[in-house]
Amino acid sequence: MGNDDSPLVIAKDIAKRYGDFVALHPLNVQVDSGEFFGVFGPNGAGKSTFMKLLTGQLKPSIGEIEVLGINARKNPQKLKANIGIVPESESPPSFLTPVEFLDFVARLRGVEERQQKVEYWLDWFGLEEKRDTMCKDLSKGQRQKVMLACAFIHKPKLLFLDEPFANLDPIYQRKCREWLMDHVANGGTIFLCSHVLEMAERMCNRMAIINHGRVLAAGKVSDLKQSSEETLEDVFIRLVGKSIEEVESMDGSSSEEE
Amino acid sequence: MTTTITSRNWDDVVDAEGNLLKPVDATTINTSNDGQTLLDPLTGWSAFSATFKVMFLEEWRKSIDFAKARQVLTFPLMLALITMVTTIGLQFLVGSGAAQSSDIDAKTFSWSELRFALHLPLFMFSMGMGMFAFKGRDAILKRTGEKMELLAAPALQPLNNSIAHFSYFVKDLVFYVVMILTPIIFGMALGLLLDRYTAINTPLEWSSLPWTWAAMVLTLAQGLAVAFLVSVLWLRGKPFTTFGPALVVVAGIAVGLGLVPWDQAMLGLAVQTKQSLAWVFGGLALTIIAGAFASSLILDDFDVHVVQRADLFEPIYNKLGFLGNSELRLLVAKEFVDLIRSGTMKKMLVSYAVPLLVLLGLAWLVDFAEFPIPFNLLSYAPFLGFFGFNFYSWLTILDSPDFMNGLPLRLTQLIRAKVMVYFIATSWISVLFFILMAWRLDEWISLPTGLIVMICNSIYIVALTAYLMGMRPNKAIFDSSIMIWFYLGTVAPLLMLFLLSFTQGDVALYGNWWDRVGQDGLEATSTYFDPEQMRGGYYGIIGVSGILLILSAILWKMMDRKWGDKPFEN
Repeated sequence: MGNDDSPLVIAKDIAKRYGDFVALHPLNVQVDSGEFFGVFGPNGAGKSTFMKLLTGQLKPSIGEIEVLGINARKNPQKLKANIGIVPESESPPSFLTPVEFLDFVARLRGVEERQQKVEYWLDWFGLEEKRDTMCKDLSKGQRQKVMLACAFIHKPKLLFLDEPFANLDPIYQRKCREWLMDHVANGGTIFLCSHVLEMAERMCNRMAIINHGRVLAAGKVSDLKQSSEETLEDVFIRLVGKSIEEVESMDGSSSEEE
Repeated sequence: MTTTITSRNWDDVVDAEGNLLKPVDATTINTSNDGQTLLDPLTGWSAFSATFKVMFLEEWRKSIDFAKARQVLTFPLMLALITMVTTIGLQFLVGSGAAQSSDIDAKTFSWSELRFALHLPLFMFSMGMGMFAFKGRDAILKRTGEKMELLAAPALQPLNNSIAHFSYFVKDLVFYVVMILTPIIFGMALGLLLDRYTAINTPLEWSSLPWTWAAMVLTLAQGLAVAFLVSVLWLRGKPFTTFGPALVVVAGIAVGLGLVPWDQAMLGLAVQTKQSLAWVFGGLALTIIAGAFASSLILDDFDVHVVQRADLFEPIYNKLGFLGNSELRLLVAKEFVDLIRSGTMKKMLVSYAVPLLVLLGLAWLVDFAEFPIPFNLLSYAPFLGFFGFNFYSWLTILDSPDFMNGLPLRLTQLIRAKVMVYFIATSWISVLFFILMAWRLDEWISLPTGLIVMICNSIYIVALTAYLMGMRPNKAIFDSSIMIWFYLGTVAPLLMLFLLSFTQGDVALYGNWWDRVGQDGLEATSTYFDPEQMRGGYYGIIGVSGILLILSAILWKMMDRKWGDKPFEN
């Protein structure tokens, strides 16, 4: 394990391929401490696959990944115990209540003062009244809150969030956004995947735009704009639109770097 | 800050074999934990214990989600009462009833036959319930849907997939022991109590109960472990896929040829026969080790492969012209696409064909051994229809139907589509097996009648299952209010057709067996052959089959009232 100045995430030449279909072309990534790093792209661009590789949910076809000094390929359980993951579309187990599921997850991670932490996050997300309701009977937004609470319960320094605010009402969107900003201000690091560009403008200090499993551009949000009049949406359409044209006109083998 | 991200072309980095041109040395990567004290996730026993507890809770909640807690709790009670009645009737089965004389041993069952009859169905049941690797894979594939199971938790949580599967194996074992086996023993105890406090006699002894309980637990554990192992090997891909079926065939041949005695092939049967503690603990350890071994073969593989397929819906839809242009045709086509794409078709056909093979083997065995009961082709026909229950159950868990709630459809239409898929997919297998059986027993003359009985019974059983349980037959298993109707609705016609079949076939061998049994019970002997009785029996069989067909039509109609306004869920 490196010293505290070393990056938190390093991935070298990681890629994912299913038969002839390349879901993610070889990527090299390095994420430093204190970053709010966003990966943006259209639907099916490869964002979720990318995040699943970094968090040990999927094994890469090639390449190596190390996060917090833990090899994601060799020790995915240890990695999952020490980071927070909010997946794009998964729900908590249907037949457990929020309190049972949070308790189970905290136990698996070996969290101390488990009970207090479960109560704290139930209260934080306003789930007190629903604590004994089976998750299948919760609304989608409430289930998303349970998933967020699961990711936050051990207060990890590094969080991986895939469309974290999906189905959340505006009040909790703001509450979570402020908590995440505070988390980064206090030395935390966040890796965010989304297609909501507003989040990049509001929260991220660096971002990448990917499509068809390739990075089209990356850097500070302001650096990606060609002029002061250009909005991030313009940047997105310019890059992704160009990429689509390239794929349609060629065989899709272009590569872009930062 | 130096956060960077770059990408390259696959072909620039990877050679033709799919390996990196410049391999990455993982030891040269140095990341920091940023001062965070790293947590150690639970492993081994602690992880198992934590997972087992919530899985057991999940199983209980799943059961009471379908039925009310009261009905689920009534199920073991019902089972205990049925066992109590059976225990009382045991004296007639083994020929120790007061009215029975000692010279009728050949007409009654021996204790070893009864033990066999207890353990074989239990073993078959546990084999059917133990395909945990398939269940785990399904849970992983469906984890982005509306319903999420703990078995899919390892994809996201710091839990080893092997431990999750082992917890599931032990959870299922314990759940069945609590909900099925223990109530059976309780029922036997009730029967014995009646022996003590009333004039009723039962040949069972108190000392047999703990042995019977331990033996049944072991048979259940063995069946679950074997099925678990077979399913794991199947999912590991070639060459392991062939190991499971090969294991079953080799074991079957070894037992069939007498190389391994029955009472040692089934550990529970061995315990029941030998009443040895060493067999109990040794057998239990062996099955737990087998379950743990099967679990250890489960990979931490959460990949959902991206596969592109040619359009299957249109060609299937076009082939279903006989269904007209109704919604039923659309739904049947969709169900077939699900069945084929999910890879379930093969698994389902095997699970349907195996019991039929067992039945064929049984027919051969009975014919070969000249069994004292006049089994004939028509005796097997109702059973073939009965296996439809399993196939229909599989069909209801292919995919989550929740998305249909927003479509202009009713749940009844989907249920009917599944029933239709069942008939289209399995009828040819049943017919084929029945023809094989006719050939094996040399009873070609009974074939047309047998086919009528089989088809009528098959239609009735699936219509009854679909009516009573809708889209959730797997969850209805512990709902006493449903199971009692299912039990009465299936056992009564099955028994009637089975007994009526004894009037048919090669009756010359048995003379007036039916008449004499009615008169003298188990002391009956054959004296003469009565063609009138044979004719009456034949009309009886056709009559019962006709009634079943009418009942099926009524159930088909009543489905709208029962399920028409219910939401799509399974």
